[in-house]
Amino acid sequence: MVKYILKRLLQSLITVLLVLSVVFFLLRMMPSDYFFTEDELIKFTEEQKYAKLERLGLMEICKTCGGKGMVEDKACPNCREGDAASGTGYRNRSVFAQLGDFFYQMVEMRVFNAKGKEVKTATPVALPAYLSQKAGGTDPFEGTLKEGYSVRACFNLGKSIRLEKGQYVTDVIAQKMSVSMEIGLIALAISLVLGVVLGVLQARYKDGVFDHIGTGYTVVVNAVPRLVIYTVIMIAGSSLFALPMRYDATAANPDLTKVLPIVCLSMASTAGYMLWTRRYMVDELNKDYIRLAKLKGLSTRKVMFRHVLKNAFVPLAQYLPASVLLTVGGSLLVETFFSVPGMGPELTKAISRYDLNLVQGIVLLYATMGIMGVFLGDLLMTLIDPRIKLTGKGDVR
Amino acid sequence: MKKLLALVLAVVMLVSMAAIASADELTSLNTYETQGRELETWNIHYSQAAADLNVLCNLFDGLLTNDNHGNLKLNAAKSYESPDGGKTWVFTLNEGMTWFDKDGEVQADVKASDWATGLEWVLNYAKNDSYNASMPMEMIVGAAEYYEYTKTLTDSEGADAVKALTTEGKFDELVGIDVDDEAGTITYHLVDALPYFPSVATYNCLYPLSAELIEQVGVDGYRDITWEDMWYNGAYVISYFENLNQKVLTKSPNYWNDANVKRFDTVTIKMVESVANAYQLYKAGELDHVSLDQATLQAIYSESADAEYKPYLVEARPTKYSYQMHLVYSKNKEDGTPDENWNLAVANENFRKSLYYGLDLTNYLARTNAINPLSCENYCYTGNGVAFTSDGTDYTVLVRNELGLDYDRTTYNRYDAEKAAQYKAAAIEELTAKGVTFPVEMDYYISGSSTVAAETAKVLSDIFSLCLGDDYVKLNTKTYISSLANEVRKPRLASFYINGWGADFADPVNFLGQETYNDSAAYYSNAYSNINDATDADLIAAYQEFTDLVVAAKAITDDMDARYAAFAKAEACFINHALAIPCSYEVAWELTKINNFSKVYSMYGMQAYRYVDWETSTEAYTTEQMEANAAAYAAE
Repeated sequence: MVKYILKRLLQSLITVLLVLSVVFFLLRMMPSDYFFTEDELIKFTEEQKYAKLERLGLMEICKTCGGKGMVEDKACPNCREGDAASGTGYRNRSVFAQLGDFFYQMVEMRVFNAKGKEVKTATPVALPAYLSQKAGGTDPFEGTLKEGYSVRACFNLGKSIRLEKGQYVTDVIAQKMSVSMEIGLIALAISLVLGVVLGVLQARYKDGVFDHIGTGYTVVVNAVPRLVIYTVIMIAGSSLFALPMRYDATAANPDLTKVLPIVCLSMASTAGYMLWTRRYMVDELNKDYIRLAKLKGLSTRKVMFRHVLKNAFVPLAQYLPASVLLTVGGSLLVETFFSVPGMGPELTKAISRYDLNLVQGIVLLYATMGIMGVFLGDLLMTLIDPRIKLTGKGDVR
Repeated sequence: MKKLLALVLAVVMLVSMAAIASADELTSLNTYETQGRELETWNIHYSQAAADLNVLCNLFDGLLTNDNHGNLKLNAAKSYESPDGGKTWVFTLNEGMTWFDKDGEVQADVKASDWATGLEWVLNYAKNDSYNASMPMEMIVGAAEYYEYTKTLTDSEGADAVKALTTEGKFDELVGIDVDDEAGTITYHLVDALPYFPSVATYNCLYPLSAELIEQVGVDGYRDITWEDMWYNGAYVISYFENLNQKVLTKSPNYWNDANVKRFDTVTIKMVESVANAYQLYKAGELDHVSLDQATLQAIYSESADAEYKPYLVEARPTKYSYQMHLVYSKNKEDGTPDENWNLAVANENFRKSLYYGLDLTNYLARTNAINPLSCENYCYTGNGVAFTSDGTDYTVLVRNELGLDYDRTTYNRYDAEKAAQYKAAAIEELTAKGVTFPVEMDYYISGSSTVAAETAKVLSDIFSLCLGDDYVKLNTKTYISSLANEVRKPRLASFYINGWGADFADPVNFLGQETYNDSAAYYSNAYSNINDATDADLIAAYQEFTDLVVAAKAITDDMDARYAAFAKAEACFINHALAIPCSYEVAWELTKINNFSKVYSMYGMQAYRYVDWETSTEAYTTEQMEANAAAYAAE
């Protein structure tokens, strides 16, 4: 089992790195003008555009002409575009060099001053020297670090270049993730409990009024556009229950502002759990061992919860870890609609604004969570149903 | 009868004013932005985006600001003058100004040298990535040289060496700024006499920066500064910020100008998903104003929904953007080959004039303002309120006088079917001889994801069809996916663009300078019209005539009235040749508890969103009350 887990973890790591590399290359295949807003395209001079691209690491000052665009009164041959009278002074950077920098900066260190404010970053080359020399009481930065300064290693994915300009991607993700997870986990717990219980009741009273109401709810939730449902919930929640219409951490009662987003979030997944619980339970109810249990005189309650639900829950359980882990991703629609400052809209906004580092960071997170979710789901299934084996011949998953 | 009407009007105004006076003012303001306009940086020197500057202008005081009529107003400077007719400008600072942190704790005095530190930051290639550098480089002695010096040094010595530069040394040696901390004076030496330079002092390229703050947080730390770490010297500090959720501005406890400026206790800017969402928040009492989309406006106006808001509908003031129909003189087809049919047609002055006189844009304007479409009419290239003559006349009045057009708000004055028919007939004759086939296909691009743009394009298409005839021109509405610049402008696929321009400083050259011929700094000439690639001699002659007039007007620096008159002639020349066709202003409708006429009204720069000296009411203003406000404002 340990060998299997290690093998899966290694495979997961390789998959994540591959996903990240593919995204990295794809992002850099975009035309450079996509890195500017329409405003910037209007107001920026060519020089400003090149300067920005240089700072993003996409271009570099031409070594041949030193950024002047001219070599001995002639257009620089290395950075000239077409038959222009002079070169641009800049050249595209190799995408492999950029990828190298990306992985290199992951182990970069951040330097803080005496007041705890970050003042610079330091290259990872200095890390071993810093660690060994700090132990010896000497300054590894040869006097460039002032008294009271400290150095911390960090998992650096770079800084946001648009959405939260200059902020570390890891900081942005950590902050947003916590908000999404909070409301996501509450919504998941609600929908899991409600969905499973209501699904059991639907199966128990199959073709009865309750089953029809439950099916109707599931159909409505899935058929009506979400934004319409959210609008109705927002207006109803506000006018009937005086609930705040948007998330507000500064409100007198911040928890109250989370109610409507949580209701909207749990609504769809409740329908999902109802649907699948009902379906798996109805499947199980028709099996011979259930008929035998009934014939042997077991009460309906015992049959439903001890036997049917236990078996019906196995396929549902497989997706539980992924559901829990993916709460970090938030919900695009709900969070946008209620202005929840979570992860939901972050990826689409980062993509639409070409915030390279943020896109890479979020892709890394989502890929990791997705893969880990599947992996943990497999492990959970083996715990719930010992008949399932992940290793061995024949039935290996 | 007139006297009676005047009396009735006066009584109505007095009653309205009394009603307003009896209502309490808001002590805190709840406003909003849509999520696409979230602030991206707190570094005021490192931003050229309106979404950032609309917030940051409240946190920092520059030398000058604007009042509610658009006039320049003293701010951090208590006086300013030019001893030599505009080539040197001396600003003298108020005493007692301080830098403070988000908690209001005083960190340092605001000194004249902070303006030098700010300028050094802007011009330093390694520090500010060239943001906001272009205006100082064009205007201030030695600024361009210092910028080039830092850029060259970045390449040879590395960025760290350039980041270590301060105002001492090369900057002091090269750049034309003298500061005297004792006397509190800042002197700018300009490359030329620039009478409009004080309006540049309202813009962030000339904002102060404390060297002590940089010492504390480092160069990289300042570039990526956050609201929690930065120092403020303006009317508000940030007390709460959550990206894409909300920001709270709290009035600065140690503000130097507290006695003379009316401020809110707090201003909460809520980020909302859409304007429709904002409307729901307004109805729930969570916002103090809301701009209405067309569907909501028409529903209220026709009383088909929320009719109780109809008495409170008020017309907003125009934004600073002047929209033009920019014609493209070197267009390509989608296969990359030149679109000769269009290029020949648009080079013909009769063809352009048939468009100029033949399009009644009233229905198009109604897409922005369904109730009073003609509030959006625009017959000039330069925006209203950018510059005024010595007797207070708006510069655009001079242009309209040259053109013989006025805004009477009852008919679309420029439309002249008879003239259009004459020009059309002449164009058909001349262009047919050149091999142009009719109808001339005109490609117009809109965002593929915008249903509003699609509906507006349909209206525009109907106008072309109705006014000019399907046998003459055919408007093809096409879509781009995400970037007009990359997908349309670069490959030169559009026949025309409708685009708005807002000025950065108070001079017509900021508008007209974008259209001059053979000028690498002329943005629209290079990026939109592609006029420099046109080959038609008559067209080039028309552009050259306009360019010569602009150059001549720019040279007049000692008599502003003469300067504006000369620019008006140049602008009239440009429009009379129909080189671009003035199109519209943005004038929306809203529900509001704010007297729009008390706000800073700046048609250039970044001062328009300052939350100071606003008149408000705890009850929403009615249409009549706002009209009374407008009348009182006009009488001021």
